[in-house]
Amino acid sequence: MIRSLLMFLTLLAAAPALAQGKPPLVLAAASLQESMNAAADAWATAGHPRPVISFAASSALARQVEAGGDADLFVSADQEWMDALAAKRLIVPASRVTFLGNRLVVVAAKGNPVRIPVRPAAALAKVLAAGPLAMADAPVPAGKYGEAALRSLGVWATVAPKVVRGDSVRAALTLVERGAAPLGIVYATDAKASRAVRIAGVFPAGSHPPITYPVARLARSTNPEGEAFRRFLVSRAGKAVFVRYGFIAR
Amino acid sequence: MLTAAEWGIVALSLKVGGVAMAAVLPIAFALAWVLARVRFPGKLLLDAVVHLPLVVPPVVTGWVLLLAFAPAGPLGGWLERWFGVSVLFRWTGAAIAAGIMALPLMVRAMRLSIEAVDRRLESAARTLGAGPTRVFWTLTLPLSLPGVLAGAVLGFARSIGEFGATITFVSNVPGETQTLPLAIYSALQQPGAEATVWRLSAMSVGLSLIALLVSELLTRRVRRGLHVL
Repeated sequence: MIRSLLMFLTLLAAAPALAQGKPPLVLAAASLQESMNAAADAWATAGHPRPVISFAASSALARQVEAGGDADLFVSADQEWMDALAAKRLIVPASRVTFLGNRLVVVAAKGNPVRIPVRPAAALAKVLAAGPLAMADAPVPAGKYGEAALRSLGVWATVAPKVVRGDSVRAALTLVERGAAPLGIVYATDAKASRAVRIAGVFPAGSHPPITYPVARLARSTNPEGEAFRRFLVSRAGKAVFVRYGFIAR
Repeated sequence: MLTAAEWGIVALSLKVGGVAMAAVLPIAFALAWVLARVRFPGKLLLDAVVHLPLVVPPVVTGWVLLLAFAPAGPLGGWLERWFGVSVLFRWTGAAIAAGIMALPLMVRAMRLSIEAVDRRLESAARTLGAGPTRVFWTLTLPLSLPGVLAGAVLGFARSIGEFGATITFVSNVPGETQTLPLAIYSALQQPGAEATVWRLSAMSVGLSLIALLVSELLTRRVRRGLHVL
């Protein structure tokens, strides 16, 4: 009796250690917050340790890796910062996978029935320049893509004076949600995350550089749980989680 | 009320702020004493350097800390060689950031209270035969104590509000470096998370208010010249 009780207690103590390794540390772009948390939850439900995720700007995270921080995975909102880490041999090249894509859209407040004509340029310029146009700050990827799209559609010169900048794409979204700007340029995923806005127009994929999200294992990562979670992220089941949040599986 | 995860964030903030305050307290007191009592060349420069974190953009402080505490950096390399630890992505790093940001406020409050100590009392004690160490422990320290505590509490309040240096230096890791301001920032990035933002902001305002009230009450004691606690 006592012996079986002892055995039970030993098993109880050992069970979590057997089933679960140390949770990996994932550095992820702030725009992935809801979707990456959902992916981590799905992974944890399947019996794995739930990854610990630090959400901040891709640039800040990349600099922390450069400084020598010990994390397992890096998920960037653009290729530029992943390239920067690759150049310094801080990622495992074979583990780098571009697994998600996104679209750039124009959002309006839910009650605003406006439709955005992509062509002709004069019509597009007229709609966009009617009031303040909320965009992410120029150095932020969403700001860069938005400007590229407006330039390639030939309306940047007319629209630029009307642009109001938020420090992140979510700040631009908030400007539209709160009615500070009638229209804003954000990602399709941001539009989907907000209940206060609707998509009024989608930029043609060719009007701006492709919006892609790479993941890679960091060269210093020693936790096998990190690699396991990376494999899940790039798997069909992993990407399906992100598709629910408006991303495009790649 | 708060969810379990939100209480965890509050507890982490208190831990980071408390450890930062306790660790910086002796350093701040030593600096305050030197600035209040000692005359030496370069004093003005030391005064200015101590105040830098108060005026430099926090993101710069965070960036400098990141370089210094990186394994390849001067302080990070030393920690790694001697103790085998790294503070990147760790709550200890968050406490370092919070402590650096709180230092100038603590030094200012403590310096004022040390300067307010009547030096004639100290001279009298010396003429009665007390050595400098005894004068310090039985006169200078007890007399300046309310101001020292006021400075410490003010530093604590600053610590739990630290954002810019922390996210730049040690990232936004839940359970390690995600203190109240960072959690509020994360929630603000999420449409529909307004309820979380309100709850965490209320906690943040409440804690800061309590700390400021305590600090102000202690400061009043100093001003009234009530030299006993």
